[in-house]
Amino acid sequence: MKIQRRKIKKIDIADSGALSDLAFLLIIFFIVIAVFNVNSGFILGIPRKNSTKIINTMDIMKFDLLDSGQIELDGEILPIDKLSGTINTNLEFHPNMTILLRVQREVSYQKVVSFVEVIRKLEVENFSFVLSDKDEL
Amino acid sequence: MKISRGKRRIPIVPINSMSDIAFLLLIFIMLISLINYRKEIKISYPEAEFHEVTQADKNLEIWIDNGGMFYYDGLPIDLAEAEAVIADAIADDPKIRVHILADKNTSYKYVNDLVEILKLLQHRVVSFIVKDGK
Repeated sequence: MKIQRRKIKKIDIADSGALSDLAFLLIIFFIVIAVFNVNSGFILGIPRKNSTKIINTMDIMKFDLLDSGQIELDGEILPIDKLSGTINTNLEFHPNMTILLRVQREVSYQKVVSFVEVIRKLEVENFSFVLSDKDEL
Repeated sequence: MKISRGKRRIPIVPINSMSDIAFLLLIFIMLISLINYRKEIKISYPEAEFHEVTQADKNLEIWIDNGGMFYYDGLPIDLAEAEAVIADAIADDPKIRVHILADKNTSYKYVNDLVEILKLLQHRVVSFIVKDGK
Protein backbone atom coordinates (compact mmCIF):
# COMPACT_ATOMS: atom_id res chain seq x y z
CA MET A 1 0.00 0.00 0.00
CA LYS A 2 1.30 3.39 -0.93
CA ILE A 3 1.59 5.79 1.95
CA GLN A 4 0.42 9.25 1.11
CA ARG A 5 2.69 12.03 2.15
CA ARG A 6 1.31 15.31 3.20
CA LYS A 7 2.20 18.12 0.93
CA ILE A 8 4.58 20.55 2.56
CA LYS A 9 3.32 24.08 2.11
CA LYS A 10 5.88 26.57 0.96
CA ILE A 11 6.05 29.60 3.22
CA ASP A 12 6.05 32.86 1.30
CA ILE A 13 7.59 35.66 3.36
CA ALA A 14 5.69 38.33 1.47
CA ASP A 15 2.43 36.50 2.13
CA SER A 16 3.02 36.36 5.84
CA GLY A 17 2.60 40.10 6.27
CA ALA A 18 5.69 40.38 8.46
CA LEU A 19 7.50 42.34 5.80
CA SER A 20 4.95 45.12 5.78
CA ASP A 21 5.06 45.28 9.57
CA LEU A 22 8.81 45.67 9.42
CA ALA A 23 8.54 48.37 6.78
CA PHE A 24 6.01 50.30 8.84
CA LEU A 25 8.22 50.11 11.89
CA LEU A 26 11.06 51.54 9.84
CA ILE A 27 8.78 54.31 8.59
CA ILE A 28 7.82 55.22 12.16
CA PHE A 29 11.50 55.23 13.10
CA PHE A 30 12.37 57.66 10.31
CA ILE A 31 9.40 59.91 11.08
CA VAL A 32 10.55 60.10 14.71
CA ILE A 33 14.11 60.90 13.62
CA ALA A 34 12.86 63.62 11.25
CA VAL A 35 10.63 65.25 13.90
CA PHE A 36 13.38 65.07 16.52
CA ASN A 37 15.43 67.76 14.80
CA VAL A 38 13.76 70.75 16.48
CA ASN A 39 15.79 73.48 18.11
CA SER A 40 14.91 74.60 21.59
CA GLY A 41 16.46 77.20 23.81
CA PHE A 42 15.92 80.90 24.35
CA ILE A 43 14.82 83.58 21.92
CA LEU A 44 16.43 86.90 22.72
CA GLY A 45 15.76 90.32 21.28
CA ILE A 46 18.72 92.32 20.06
CA PRO A 47 18.72 96.09 20.42
CA ARG A 48 19.88 98.43 17.70
CA LYS A 49 23.60 99.11 17.67
CA ASN A 50 24.44 102.17 19.81
CA SER A 51 20.80 102.55 20.82
CA THR A 52 20.21 104.07 24.25
CA LYS A 53 17.32 104.00 26.65
CA ILE A 54 16.88 106.20 29.69
CA ILE A 55 16.05 104.19 32.80
CA ASN A 56 15.49 105.27 36.37
CA THR A 57 18.52 104.26 38.43
CA MET A 58 16.19 102.63 40.98
CA ASP A 59 14.82 100.36 38.27
CA ILE A 60 18.05 98.76 37.21
CA MET A 61 20.03 95.84 38.55
CA LYS A 62 23.54 95.54 37.19
CA PHE A 63 25.02 92.08 37.26
CA ASP A 64 28.54 91.16 36.25
CA LEU A 65 29.36 87.66 35.14
CA LEU A 66 33.02 87.20 35.90
CA ASP A 67 35.52 85.01 34.09
CA SER A 68 35.62 82.80 37.19
CA GLY A 69 31.90 82.10 36.74
CA GLN A 70 30.88 84.13 39.79
CA ILE A 71 28.08 86.65 39.68
CA GLU A 72 28.58 90.15 41.01
CA LEU A 73 25.75 92.48 41.95
CA ASP A 74 26.80 96.08 42.51
CA GLY A 75 30.40 94.99 43.15
CA GLU A 76 29.53 92.21 45.60
CA ILE A 77 29.66 88.49 44.87
CA LEU A 78 26.21 86.94 44.79
CA PRO A 79 25.90 83.15 45.21
CA ILE A 80 24.11 81.59 42.23
CA ASP A 81 21.46 80.00 44.47
CA LYS A 82 20.48 83.46 45.75
CA LEU A 83 20.20 85.00 42.28
CA SER A 84 16.60 84.03 41.69
CA GLY A 85 15.45 85.19 45.14
CA THR A 86 17.27 88.53 44.87
CA ILE A 87 15.78 89.35 41.48
CA ASN A 88 12.34 88.23 42.60
CA THR A 89 12.45 90.43 45.71
CA ASN A 90 13.46 93.45 43.64
CA LEU A 91 10.76 92.74 41.07
CA GLU A 92 8.11 92.94 43.79
CA PHE A 93 9.11 96.54 44.58
CA HIS A 94 10.05 97.55 41.04
CA PRO A 95 7.89 95.68 38.50
CA ASN A 96 9.57 97.53 35.61
CA MET A 97 12.98 96.43 36.76
CA THR A 98 15.63 96.20 34.06
CA ILE A 99 18.26 93.55 34.47
CA LEU A 100 21.58 94.42 32.91
CA LEU A 101 24.09 91.63 32.55
CA ARG A 102 27.70 92.44 31.72
CA VAL A 103 29.54 89.34 30.65
CA GLN A 104 33.30 89.12 30.73
CA ARG A 105 35.04 87.74 27.66
CA GLU A 106 36.17 84.38 28.98
CA VAL A 107 32.95 83.39 30.75
CA SER A 108 31.74 79.98 29.63
CA TYR A 109 28.62 80.01 27.47
CA GLN A 110 26.87 77.70 29.94
CA LYS A 111 27.02 80.40 32.64
CA VAL A 112 25.33 82.92 30.34
CA VAL A 113 22.65 80.40 29.37
CA SER A 114 22.01 79.58 33.04
CA PHE A 115 21.56 83.28 33.82
CA VAL A 116 19.16 83.71 30.90
CA GLU A 117 17.24 80.67 32.16
CA VAL A 118 16.72 82.33 35.55
CA ILE A 119 15.58 85.54 33.84
CA ARG A 120 13.11 83.62 31.70
CA LYS A 121 11.79 81.66 34.65
CA LEU A 122 11.10 84.89 36.53
CA GLU A 123 9.48 86.40 33.42
CA VAL A 124 11.62 89.52 33.53
CA GLU A 125 10.54 91.70 30.63
CA ASN A 126 13.48 94.07 30.48
CA PHE A 127 16.68 92.18 30.16
CA SER A 128 19.83 93.40 28.49
CA PHE A 129 23.18 91.70 28.12
CA VAL A 130 26.44 93.08 26.90
CA LEU A 131 30.06 92.06 26.72
CA SER A 132 31.90 93.68 29.59
CA ASP A 133 34.79 95.92 28.68
CA LYS A 134 36.22 95.80 32.22
CA ASP A 135 38.96 93.36 31.32
CA GLU A 136 39.79 95.14 28.08
CA LEU A 137 40.90 98.30 29.82
CA MET B 1 -31.24 26.60 -23.08
CA LYS B 2 -29.72 27.34 -19.76
CA ILE B 3 -27.21 30.17 -19.90
CA SER B 4 -24.28 29.43 -17.71
CA ARG B 5 -23.26 32.32 -15.53
CA GLY B 6 -19.69 33.03 -14.83
CA LYS B 7 -18.68 32.34 -11.29
CA ARG B 8 -18.49 35.44 -9.19
CA ARG B 9 -15.11 36.00 -7.74
CA ILE B 10 -14.86 37.15 -4.17
CA PRO B 11 -13.01 40.50 -4.09
CA ILE B 12 -9.64 40.18 -2.46
CA VAL B 13 -7.46 42.96 -1.20
CA PRO B 14 -3.93 42.12 -2.38
CA ILE B 15 -1.93 42.16 0.83
CA ASN B 16 1.27 41.38 -1.02
CA SER B 17 1.35 44.84 -2.55
CA MET B 18 1.15 46.42 0.90
CA SER B 19 4.81 45.80 1.50
CA ASP B 20 5.63 47.44 -1.84
CA ILE B 21 3.68 50.54 -0.84
CA ALA B 22 5.34 50.51 2.55
CA PHE B 23 8.78 50.38 1.00
CA LEU B 24 7.98 53.18 -1.39
CA LEU B 25 6.85 55.27 1.57
CA LEU B 26 10.00 54.32 3.38
CA ILE B 27 12.19 55.49 0.51
CA PHE B 28 10.19 58.72 0.28
CA ILE B 29 10.60 59.48 3.98
CA MET B 30 14.28 58.60 3.89
CA LEU B 31 14.77 61.08 1.07
CA ILE B 32 12.83 63.77 2.92
CA SER B 33 14.85 63.20 6.07
CA LEU B 34 18.03 63.47 4.02
CA ILE B 35 16.87 66.85 2.72
CA ASN B 36 16.30 68.04 6.30
CA TYR B 37 19.53 66.45 7.43
CA ARG B 38 21.48 68.66 9.81
CA LYS B 39 25.23 68.43 9.65
CA GLU B 40 26.01 68.18 13.32
CA ILE B 41 29.22 69.53 14.79
CA LYS B 42 30.49 67.74 17.85
CA ILE B 43 29.71 70.10 20.71
CA SER B 44 28.52 69.75 24.29
CA TYR B 45 25.19 71.54 24.34
CA PRO B 46 24.54 73.95 27.21
CA GLU B 47 21.91 72.67 29.57
CA ALA B 48 18.79 74.35 30.88
CA GLU B 49 15.77 72.81 32.57
CA PHE B 50 13.47 75.56 31.39
CA HIS B 51 13.53 76.29 27.67
CA GLU B 52 11.22 76.91 24.75
CA VAL B 53 10.99 75.77 21.15
CA THR B 54 12.82 78.32 19.02
CA GLN B 55 12.39 76.66 15.63
CA ALA B 56 10.87 78.95 13.01
CA ASP B 57 9.73 78.37 9.44
CA LYS B 58 13.15 79.33 8.14
CA ASN B 59 16.24 78.78 10.20
CA LEU B 60 19.93 79.47 9.98
CA GLU B 61 22.26 77.60 12.25
CA ILE B 62 25.75 78.80 13.13
CA TRP B 63 27.80 76.46 15.26
CA ILE B 64 30.65 77.35 17.59
CA ASP B 65 32.87 74.61 18.93
CA ASN B 66 34.85 74.48 22.15
CA GLY B 67 37.82 76.28 20.58
CA GLY B 68 35.76 79.15 19.18
CA MET B 69 35.71 77.92 15.58
CA PHE B 70 32.57 78.84 13.63
CA TYR B 71 30.78 76.34 11.40
CA TYR B 72 28.04 76.64 8.87
CA ASP B 73 26.53 73.67 7.09
CA GLY B 74 29.19 71.41 8.54
CA LEU B 75 32.10 73.48 7.23
CA PRO B 76 34.45 75.70 9.25
CA ILE B 77 34.16 79.41 8.48
CA ASP B 78 35.79 82.55 9.79
CA LEU B 79 33.93 85.55 11.20
CA ALA B 80 33.87 87.43 7.88
CA GLU B 81 32.36 84.40 6.16
CA ALA B 82 29.85 84.05 8.97
CA GLU B 83 28.83 87.67 8.42
CA ALA B 84 28.43 87.04 4.69
CA VAL B 85 26.35 83.91 5.30
CA ILE B 86 24.06 85.70 7.76
CA ALA B 87 23.75 88.77 5.53
CA ASP B 88 22.81 86.61 2.52
CA ALA B 89 20.28 84.65 4.57
CA ILE B 90 18.66 87.82 5.93
CA ALA B 91 18.59 89.35 2.45
CA ASP B 92 16.80 86.24 1.15
CA ASP B 93 14.33 86.17 4.02
CA PRO B 94 14.33 88.94 6.66
CA LYS B 95 12.22 86.76 8.97
CA ILE B 96 14.83 84.00 9.13
CA ARG B 97 15.65 82.82 12.65
CA VAL B 98 19.35 82.73 13.46
CA HIS B 99 20.28 79.99 15.91
CA ILE B 100 23.56 79.90 17.76
CA LEU B 101 24.62 76.41 18.70
CA ALA B 102 27.68 76.86 20.85
CA ASP B 103 29.61 74.50 23.05
CA LYS B 104 28.80 75.04 26.70
CA ASN B 105 32.49 75.48 27.52
CA THR B 106 33.26 78.00 24.80
CA SER B 107 34.06 81.55 25.81
CA TYR B 108 31.19 83.97 25.52
CA LYS B 109 33.32 86.36 23.42
CA TYR B 110 32.83 84.07 20.39
CA VAL B 111 29.07 84.07 20.82
CA ASN B 112 29.19 87.82 21.26
CA ASP B 113 30.99 88.16 17.90
CA LEU B 114 27.93 86.66 16.22
CA VAL B 115 25.55 88.81 18.26
CA GLU B 116 27.50 91.90 17.16
CA ILE B 117 27.12 90.83 13.52
CA LEU B 118 23.37 90.51 14.02
CA LYS B 119 23.30 93.98 15.60
CA LEU B 120 25.24 95.37 12.69
CA LEU B 121 22.84 93.76 10.21
CA GLN B 122 19.91 95.05 12.27
CA HIS B 123 18.50 91.61 12.81
CA ARG B 124 16.43 91.76 15.95
CA VAL B 125 16.21 88.16 17.11
CA VAL B 126 18.69 85.49 18.06
CA SER B 127 18.16 82.04 19.44
CA PHE B 128 20.51 80.41 21.92
CA ILE B 129 20.13 76.67 21.61
CA VAL B 130 20.31 74.37 24.60
CA LYS B 131 20.23 70.62 25.04
CA ASP B 132 16.76 69.27 24.50
CA GLY B 133 16.11 67.34 27.68
CA LYS B 134 12.68 65.94 26.78
